[in-house]
Amino acid sequence: MMRPDATEELHSLLESRIAVLDGAMGTTIREYGLTEAAARGERFADAPKDLLNNGDILSLTQPATIGDIHKRFLEAGSDIIETNTFSATTISQSDFFVEDPIDSGGRKDPEYFQQVLENEFLQELARDINLKGSEIARTEADRIAEETGITRYVAGAIGPLTVSLTNGPDHDDPAFRMVTFDQVKQAYREQIMALAEGGCDILMVETIFDSLNAKAALVAIQELFDDENFSLPVIISAAVGLGGETMISAQKIDAFWIACQHLDPIAIGLNCSLGPDLMRPFLSQLGQVASTYTSCYPNAGLPNPLAPTGFDLEPHHMAEYMAEFAEAGLLNLAGGCCGNTPAHLTAIVEAVKEHPPRPVRTLAA
Amino acid sequence: MDPLPRLLRLSGSDAYVHGPDANFLMIGERTNVAGSPRFRKLIKENKLEEAVEVARQQVANGANVIDICFDEGLIDGVAMMTRFLHLLQGEPDVAKVPIMVDSSKWEILEAGLKCLQGKGIVNSISMKEGEDKFIEQARIIRRYGAAVVVMAFDEKGQAATYEDKTRICERAYRILVDQVKFPPEDIIFDPNILTVATGIEEHNNYAVDFINATKWIKANLPHAKVSGGVSNISFSFRGNNVMREAMHSVFLYHATQAGMDMGIVNAGMLEVYDEIPKELLARVEDVILNRGEDATEGLLDLAEQFKGKGGKKQEVDLSWREYGVEKRLEHALLRGITEFIDEDTEEALKKHGRPIKVIEGPLMDGMSIVGDLFGAGKMFLPQVVKSARVMKKSVAWLTPYMEEEKAANPNIRSAGKIVMATVKGDVHDIGKNIVGVVLSCNGFEVTDLGVMVRCDKILAAARDLEVDIIGLSGLITPSLDEMMHVASEMERNGLKLPLLIGGATTSAAHTAIKIAPNYSGPTVHVLDASRSVPVTTSLLSEEQRSDFVSKNEVRHVKHREKFAGAEKRKTISLADAQQNAFQVDWSRYSPPVPEFLGTRVIEKQSLRELAHYIDWSPFFHAWELRGVWDPESETLKTRNAAGAEQAATLYQEALELLEQIIAEEHFTARGIYGFFPANAQGDDLIVWNDETRNAEQTRLHTLRQQLAKSSGKPHYALSDFVAPCGSPGDPAPADYLGAFVVGIHGADEWAKHLDEEEHDPYRSIMVKALADRCAEAFAELLHHRARVAWGIERSNEFSSEELIHENYQGIRPAPGYPAQPDHTEKPLLFDLLAASEKTGVLLTESQAMHPGAAVCGLYFSHPESRYFAITDLQKDQVESYAARKKMPLRECEKWLGSWLGYSP
Repeated sequence: MMRPDATEELHSLLESRIAVLDGAMGTTIREYGLTEAAARGERFADAPKDLLNNGDILSLTQPATIGDIHKRFLEAGSDIIETNTFSATTISQSDFFVEDPIDSGGRKDPEYFQQVLENEFLQELARDINLKGSEIARTEADRIAEETGITRYVAGAIGPLTVSLTNGPDHDDPAFRMVTFDQVKQAYREQIMALAEGGCDILMVETIFDSLNAKAALVAIQELFDDENFSLPVIISAAVGLGGETMISAQKIDAFWIACQHLDPIAIGLNCSLGPDLMRPFLSQLGQVASTYTSCYPNAGLPNPLAPTGFDLEPHHMAEYMAEFAEAGLLNLAGGCCGNTPAHLTAIVEAVKEHPPRPVRTLAA
Repeated sequence: MDPLPRLLRLSGSDAYVHGPDANFLMIGERTNVAGSPRFRKLIKENKLEEAVEVARQQVANGANVIDICFDEGLIDGVAMMTRFLHLLQGEPDVAKVPIMVDSSKWEILEAGLKCLQGKGIVNSISMKEGEDKFIEQARIIRRYGAAVVVMAFDEKGQAATYEDKTRICERAYRILVDQVKFPPEDIIFDPNILTVATGIEEHNNYAVDFINATKWIKANLPHAKVSGGVSNISFSFRGNNVMREAMHSVFLYHATQAGMDMGIVNAGMLEVYDEIPKELLARVEDVILNRGEDATEGLLDLAEQFKGKGGKKQEVDLSWREYGVEKRLEHALLRGITEFIDEDTEEALKKHGRPIKVIEGPLMDGMSIVGDLFGAGKMFLPQVVKSARVMKKSVAWLTPYMEEEKAANPNIRSAGKIVMATVKGDVHDIGKNIVGVVLSCNGFEVTDLGVMVRCDKILAAARDLEVDIIGLSGLITPSLDEMMHVASEMERNGLKLPLLIGGATTSAAHTAIKIAPNYSGPTVHVLDASRSVPVTTSLLSEEQRSDFVSKNEVRHVKHREKFAGAEKRKTISLADAQQNAFQVDWSRYSPPVPEFLGTRVIEKQSLRELAHYIDWSPFFHAWELRGVWDPESETLKTRNAAGAEQAATLYQEALELLEQIIAEEHFTARGIYGFFPANAQGDDLIVWNDETRNAEQTRLHTLRQQLAKSSGKPHYALSDFVAPCGSPGDPAPADYLGAFVVGIHGADEWAKHLDEEEHDPYRSIMVKALADRCAEAFAELLHHRARVAWGIERSNEFSSEELIHENYQGIRPAPGYPAQPDHTEKPLLFDLLAASEKTGVLLTESQAMHPGAAVCGLYFSHPESRYFAITDLQKDQVESYAARKKMPLRECEKWLGSWLGYSP
């Protein structure tokens, strides 16, 4: 069921307080100790490759687990939860289900990805994941909203791809790209349509390593809005490196905002790749140039294989950072990426609730 | 809060905001096939690497945005736009600026939009095909978030008059802003800059119409911008660049005053408004501002005077061709012009009758002026070498005539005969070649025996050619020993000739203390090429010689006394130094693990990529231009203004030559690097066979500082930076050592060709200097890759500028340099990598690398690893070191000669 455009509602929410996103889906799934067989379920029992790391199909094979994770984040106080659809495009799913042409002496090129886009199994799979993923999140969000009387929103997660439009893989032919802009746009377009049909309130283009890939998603969104005559609020979130530039396409954060501004997103922000301490200067820079709300959901510090979540920072650490960010007027939407469990979110909710949101500088008339 | 102002905001990988205080926005036009014949040629020949270089140059020259256009009948615009923009994405220096996608074909514009991660500009759309099409295209552009150039063009055609321009722009503005919801600050109008002074009366007001339309747009269409293609204005003066540049400047001056925000401009082709000659300025303003009916006539009259002149870039004054032939030869020599040298030489030969008369007459006269100016610091080395090129070409032209005369006239009188050589085991000869050129310019007859010349060959040449002076050169420290050997052999053979010593590691002190005592003839250290002429002249002059020699001897004595009397610096024992080694708490530190073990070979490194890593300062030092090169402004920071100017010329010529080297593949850059499990044991470094760390593959040796330190600072050895071997129950931390060798092949051969076949010593020397820079750049680039492979740096963490200044973690010390001065560690390093086999870089008996443009070294990853200097080595350490290396003590002391703190 397509949702009405919640832009106005979100504006009032974000004017009144700092809204809270959720935590990590991927690293939280690990707590459940699923086996390869469980991940495959009946539907994918005979799939040729390992699927345990294909977290998105768990919406189809282990819907209860995914629902439980959503429920825990909602109970922790998340206003907005993200669907388990990070890699739910034909292109991303092809890694798990299609033989890599390298194995037969070929290479991935636009011809290969054209077959991927036209592969009916992948099309159906991607669509099912997006629809089912949206439905699970929708059900939990609506249930908790009813119980608590606080509106909850579902954001359809649109993640990065394993192929880049900005960088080619071939040193001898640096102009070669594995995939074309139109192919990336089509894969995203199919995902976005299914997320909207599945009942998402928000489209969330996130963990952007490659700004040109992201631009294909943004063009797809605008095309769909025009062609299908609907609109939804959009959040755009980049993953930046230690120097504050998108990890693959090396675009600085202010340049990135300028390139995204035309879509008039409800929020622009940063997530993944860094812990809160290292993310802070770039969040601050973004806040100064962006004429919209800003979002921030960093990793729980740096990867640490010895920690139970695989990341350094514990809930109280994240809370301290987020409280300081809120105090400094940097936050409109706060949450956590890799390594942030429901316990982290509980602490973050507590940390930001007393602080006013970042004031937004609008664009002059 | 204050609202954010509506400004034109663009981006590549960097943001560009055109604020209220911003200067005129320069849009580079050289990457437009319509704007640049050279670019068009490169594209048609599919030389895309060079075409990308054009883009880089434009950004370097200050373009804020670059215009990319492939509108040409024979180019597949969609494919080329995609390909070229893909290539630009891989060039951080270019990818940082916003791109203007330029085409008259919509599908090419859209193909361009699909390649821009940032916010670019589409150039252009118009209402030529009606409103519907215009609106549809604007909507699509908006989806990509780009700004747009709108041409003042509608269904009826191009707007030429003020009325049409303003009417069409207003209509387009209202559609875009009201219907399409296009942000007004992202709309850029191009109200058509049309050619003036065509002789057709209706055209006379075109510039005024544009300027007035600009004023109206800025006043009536809020936030809209105005742009235009400036070179159109002067199209009727094609071929007359002086006139065109003046017209561009005058037009821009008035148009920007009217509010023009940006323009497509060749930034290199703009005369400074204030520097336009008064009369020209007045006439050009008459034409641009359409003042008076005969304005065009007036300008045409004036144009005759400037016809055929190159304009700002290539203004060539040929008035000197009117002089007499001697004066012309002098001019050519002073300015280094080879263009007319053959015809002038021929004329001089006719006039003077015999080749020898030409050489001894006008040529030598010209060269002696060059020599005087050089001596007085009024000419610089690169200019002198260019003069020598002219001389050489002239002599080459005369040579067949001299051959004919040879029987009759066997000897050309010369100021003196000199034989020069780079000594055995050493291959470095740039400095020696420069000295050779400077001496020949001053009338000395120079025989250059080349590099790696054995002592007996030098002595034989000196005897057979009956030379007056022997000059020895060398760069690496073992060459100092070879020079001592040559000096004692000269003594044994009873020679009395002056011996000149030069080269980077030589010094006046070393010459006085170590070389001169072996030889009873005069032994003189020559600091640089500029000193070579006075030294040589004095030594060969009857009057000056004895005075010069005795003064030289006095200087030697002073050096020796100072050395003997020098208070020995305080040192400590090896055991104490080891006690005070640099300490790392290895229990709290996990060394980074490289992504591979073993070696990787780079068969053919792209020279284009190398070029970005070049540190230019040492290049200028090779030409005796002192100072620090500032890559940002491309100037040599020096107190000598004339030197800076000379450096700028030299730099341009070096870039041109480098371009040729790259295009014609004269150099081949080969390299190897590798990582190995390693641990320190005492002051040695054990390189293990594999990760089990059971069997030694090889063992490298390091030396430790022994000079007493008051500050309590550690006594470093390179082994301090690698985790030590473990013991039973306390396994060694997994640490690693890297090693590399890089070499530039092909330079010597081409330099030789240039010198001998093309009589061009200038470029010959330049080739070698560039090869050295490329080798260093390769070492820097490879170290960068190695650090990335080692996980201690990300691939784009530092700019090449920062890399040159070594603002990174880890070091790459080379055997033979201060941190490990022992050259005999080089073969160990080479064997470890199988470097000679894989890279073609060989070691001579003095452990110099061949080709000379080569660099090797070890990689250390520890964050506190640093460069330091070993000096004043004591006998206890050298004994220990020799034992560890299983090398006789005497041999070890010979190799460590200048680093010893005692007399063996």
